[in-house]
Amino acid sequence: MGVRFQGRPDGRCRQRRLLGLAVGGVFALTACSNSTGSESAETAAPAATAAPATTTAAEPEPAVTEAAPPLTEAASAATEAATAPTEAAPVTEATPAAPEIGEFVPLSGVPGVSDTEIRYAVLSTGPAANALGYCLLECYQAGVQAYFDYYNSLGGVHGRQLVIGRVDDDELGNTQVKILEIVGDDSIFGTLAAPLQYAGFADLGASGMPAYSTFPAAADANGFQNMFLPLGTACGNCPRKLSVATADSLIRVASLGFGVSQASKDCVANAVETFKKWGPAAGVELVYSNDTLAFGLANGLGPEVTAMKDAGVDGVLLCMDQNSALTLEQELERQGIGDDVTVVLPQGYGDTEFFATNADLLEGDILPVVYRPFEADIAGTESEVMKEWLFKAGGLVNDYNIQGWMGAKLAVTGLLAAGPEFDRGSVVAATNTITDYTASGLHQPVDWSRQHNAPTADDPVTNGFVYDCSVYLIVRGGKLELTGDPSKPFVCLEPGVAEWTEPTPMNFA
Amino acid sequence: MLAAVGEDLFRAVLQGAPPGTVYALVALGFVLAYKTSGVFNLAFGAQAFVSAVVYFTTHTEWGWPIVPALIVSVFLLAPLLGIALDALIFRHLRASPPVTGLVVAIGLSVALPAIASIVLDFQPKGGATPEGIIPRGANVYYDVWGVYSFSRNELVAMGVAVAATLALAALFRFSAIGLQMRAVVESPRMTELNGINADRVSAAAWALSSLFAGLAGVLIAPRFSILAPGEFFNIVVIAIAAAAVGLLVSLPRAFAGGLGLGIVIALFNTFVPKWSNDLPWLKAIQNNLTPAIPFTVLFAILVFVPAVRRAHRATDPLSGVDPPPSSQLTLADEPRLVWRRRIMGAVALAVCGVIVLTRGDAAWLFLVTQAVVLGIVYLSITVMTGLGGHISLCQGTFAAVGAFTVFQLADRFDLPVLVGVVIGALIAAAVGGLLSIPLLRLNGIWIAIATLAFAYFFDAVMIKFSWVGGSQSAAGGALKVPRPVIGPWDFANDRAFLIFAVIVLALVALAVTVFANSTAGRTLRAVRGSELAAQSIGISPARSRVLAFAVSAAVASTGGALVAIHQESVGYDKNFSPFNALFWLVLVVTMGARTARGAITAAAAFSLFAPLVLNGSILAWILRSPERVPSIFPLESKWMLILFGLGTIQYAKHPEGVLERMRSDAAAKRQRKAERAAPTPSPAGVA
Repeated sequence: MGVRFQGRPDGRCRQRRLLGLAVGGVFALTACSNSTGSESAETAAPAATAAPATTTAAEPEPAVTEAAPPLTEAASAATEAATAPTEAAPVTEATPAAPEIGEFVPLSGVPGVSDTEIRYAVLSTGPAANALGYCLLECYQAGVQAYFDYYNSLGGVHGRQLVIGRVDDDELGNTQVKILEIVGDDSIFGTLAAPLQYAGFADLGASGMPAYSTFPAAADANGFQNMFLPLGTACGNCPRKLSVATADSLIRVASLGFGVSQASKDCVANAVETFKKWGPAAGVELVYSNDTLAFGLANGLGPEVTAMKDAGVDGVLLCMDQNSALTLEQELERQGIGDDVTVVLPQGYGDTEFFATNADLLEGDILPVVYRPFEADIAGTESEVMKEWLFKAGGLVNDYNIQGWMGAKLAVTGLLAAGPEFDRGSVVAATNTITDYTASGLHQPVDWSRQHNAPTADDPVTNGFVYDCSVYLIVRGGKLELTGDPSKPFVCLEPGVAEWTEPTPMNFA
Repeated sequence: MLAAVGEDLFRAVLQGAPPGTVYALVALGFVLAYKTSGVFNLAFGAQAFVSAVVYFTTHTEWGWPIVPALIVSVFLLAPLLGIALDALIFRHLRASPPVTGLVVAIGLSVALPAIASIVLDFQPKGGATPEGIIPRGANVYYDVWGVYSFSRNELVAMGVAVAATLALAALFRFSAIGLQMRAVVESPRMTELNGINADRVSAAAWALSSLFAGLAGVLIAPRFSILAPGEFFNIVVIAIAAAAVGLLVSLPRAFAGGLGLGIVIALFNTFVPKWSNDLPWLKAIQNNLTPAIPFTVLFAILVFVPAVRRAHRATDPLSGVDPPPSSQLTLADEPRLVWRRRIMGAVALAVCGVIVLTRGDAAWLFLVTQAVVLGIVYLSITVMTGLGGHISLCQGTFAAVGAFTVFQLADRFDLPVLVGVVIGALIAAAVGGLLSIPLLRLNGIWIAIATLAFAYFFDAVMIKFSWVGGSQSAAGGALKVPRPVIGPWDFANDRAFLIFAVIVLALVALAVTVFANSTAGRTLRAVRGSELAAQSIGISPARSRVLAFAVSAAVASTGGALVAIHQESVGYDKNFSPFNALFWLVLVVTMGARTARGAITAAAAFSLFAPLVLNGSILAWILRSPERVPSIFPLESKWMLILFGLGTIQYAKHPEGVLERMRSDAAAKRQRKAERAAPTPSPAGVA
């Protein structure tokens, strides 16, 4: 079956000035991510041929030998010291090692794999059904394609080109049907999925096919060992210490959410619990919360902003979509506190036109992201490669370009980890041996051996993150600027530590 | 203290004014359309959206100055659209009951935005706040009282709303054309007998109401951070309460209702959160009542305001002068033909079933099973609308009751899902029966509005309760529902479940058919035909209405439960939202609400039309091509919406439904053929 729908990944996407992620995406992105605090070694497979990954050089692509054995404790221990993130190591201009591309071995009977190609499906929601109005399918596809282009330029993986074999627009309501079609399509090896709704993810999980998705899929991907979210499966209703760090310079904060969205309500509830738990120690108080707002804010936010004004709020953690962020900003401005209140924006990275157009309203607002942004030091890092290839593919339009890149990178990492005689099962198994995956320093470490299950409020350790990190950007003059040290852009906490501790700047490259 | 409360009160009133103005504008549009055309125009939001899109595209995207953009989008396009709708559709509905116009308007509410989007290649753009009709309208504020400021856009909208109320009220009270518009709604024939061209007046009425919709669209749009049809539809649904305040006929009261609604919501949002810190019981109100205010107000008006119960549509005094339309029933088929058709249908279905079961992949099995389980839901419309004659816009809610019940009973009490299906049906029957009681004295359009209010109340409030909608957080995961196991049969297998679903559908269809022909079913049909006549022979319309609601709700609940079991989770937004239920209704009445066949065909169309036709599968199969040819496939999903809208036009012309129409056309054709074939007697005197 040929490509049925190619979309318009670049030009048209750029014209579409998206705002940010869907509500669910926003909340999942900012959801709790508690973890053990342990530091395990990163690398996909034992570094038999791996260039040493240190914080002084960009992390190489996962190094894989012909028949990469699973990661052993010994290997893990051996590489731990070299790969664990450090606070002080500066990023240098070191030349990254040449990425591994594996070795060709003829295979038969592996779905989606021929002697020349490895074919993936991309599933998302197209513009016709995406009422939130941001670039989703095209941007996610463009991100995937950019990484495939990059790797194909190196020679592909195991002697085969990486190909998007089919693109499916679920039209919002047909996700399950599309997933069933993909699962039954023998010309497809794996799936990269970024839909707005996640119906049918159980079928995807049950298929055993390697599947890579986006942040909001946490609830539906929970427990499936073949489904990989960018930072692992997060907890949707856990207090998140990092929220307090987000409010670093603030004293009295508020949180707003929609009444109709459980994710939104969870987000507000998490904020309430978080500030109750760690706020006093950090010197910040949550003084107003409201999770009853009508989606679309047809009634405006007049009374709510008045209440926040009366409560002396100086910051707002938004559990809403970015369209609503604009409504809030306008109401803050109207009531004369626009300059006094910092809004922590839900998303919007890459949407330069949005920030430029609304520069006055957004001035001083904070945008947290979970990956190393281009505003940090990126020389010699994965971000530099990503920037180069995303812009070759048409430019960065929004976060979904980056999530597409991240999904594709993990797919390739798994292929290399599985070795040249791979199939779906071995790719999944090999990926799950990676215990300290940072996408070459693009994001915080993920332990794929245990992060397919969401942590819980009662047990944030067993399946939680090693570090819970964000990178903070601030809007200045209609542009985004990095806050903090460009060489250590990640602001991290160890969620496994119960008491409040000051966040630590970190670098995973 | 009192001064502070007074200031809060005053501020809340001011804060409620801008959204109240929006509701008022839409409510005025409702009243205007109803007064001038007799149509409860749910497509008002779509008309407003079309003008807003044209304004946005010409002004913001193409850089036109405000005035030409406004002239084109509002003063040219909108009236032309109204005239076209009148000429193509609504003019032909004058003699139809109001619910016919409602169904057509629902279809247009979906089709018009899709057409506009295709013609203008428009896609919603997040964060691109639409500009108003005045420069810097969103950024310049005026604070007259030092309490709360209004933007230029809001002041313009308020001014237009006030001016429109006065001007339209004057138009209807003092002008000849206003009087003529009302006269045409009441009796076009009588109007024409007085020398007035009813068609021209009707066209003028639609041009006026469409112009107002366009004006409202460009005034409302700046309140949204995104220009999308969903935002307009949501506003329309809320504004129905305001229009109900004016009983769909009073412009000043509709204006006051809209403004009052905005202010009441602002008052609740101001005071309840403040007081709920000290009074915990208020938290529940804060969480649940505030979003429910519009629907609570609407429902209260419908139930408690006597004038609503008396608001019957004026009957055309000359409606009886036309000869009655030829009865399709007189063209009924011979029994031999009926049986032949049934056997052929059964064989065709069996062949399709065998193909799906033996050759269909997981995706096709899913789609066909979805058609089957939705067919059960749609049969509830056969009971409610086909038998009972009521337009219910809350069938999705009844279906959701079944789905949530199955989930809750399986999740909390580990009960078998089939037990949950039965309990869900009983609960839904009780809910339906209870809902019908306050609506006993309502008729026609008001029942539709009341059920819509109930659906949105459930949507805004009820599903938030964990004992109804569960918790859909990451911790809870999706609302999972298991497949049933009956003795040795485990229906986890998709093929086995399809067979099971077909059996249930057949049983429910048989039950509905038996019910239709039973004494109870005949009482429903009698009441639908003539409530007065039914009463005169001792039938209780109240009892039959309760029966129709209860049975219909039970059937919908059964279908909803099976939808959840099929998908192995409750996807409320995807399956049961009020907007989806509008779709269902229109599809069923288009196909034919009076027969089980109509409902099942509608369900098949809902599930299979897009994958078979829009995706090009049928054409590819005909051409024996592995690819979907020609390359235009798959067609954009918007075409499905447009076809859906066109389907309602078909309904407007043939309210009996496509299937009955096709059957009667075929019977008529056979009859004509037989007449031609019969020997013509020679005229007397001719050799």
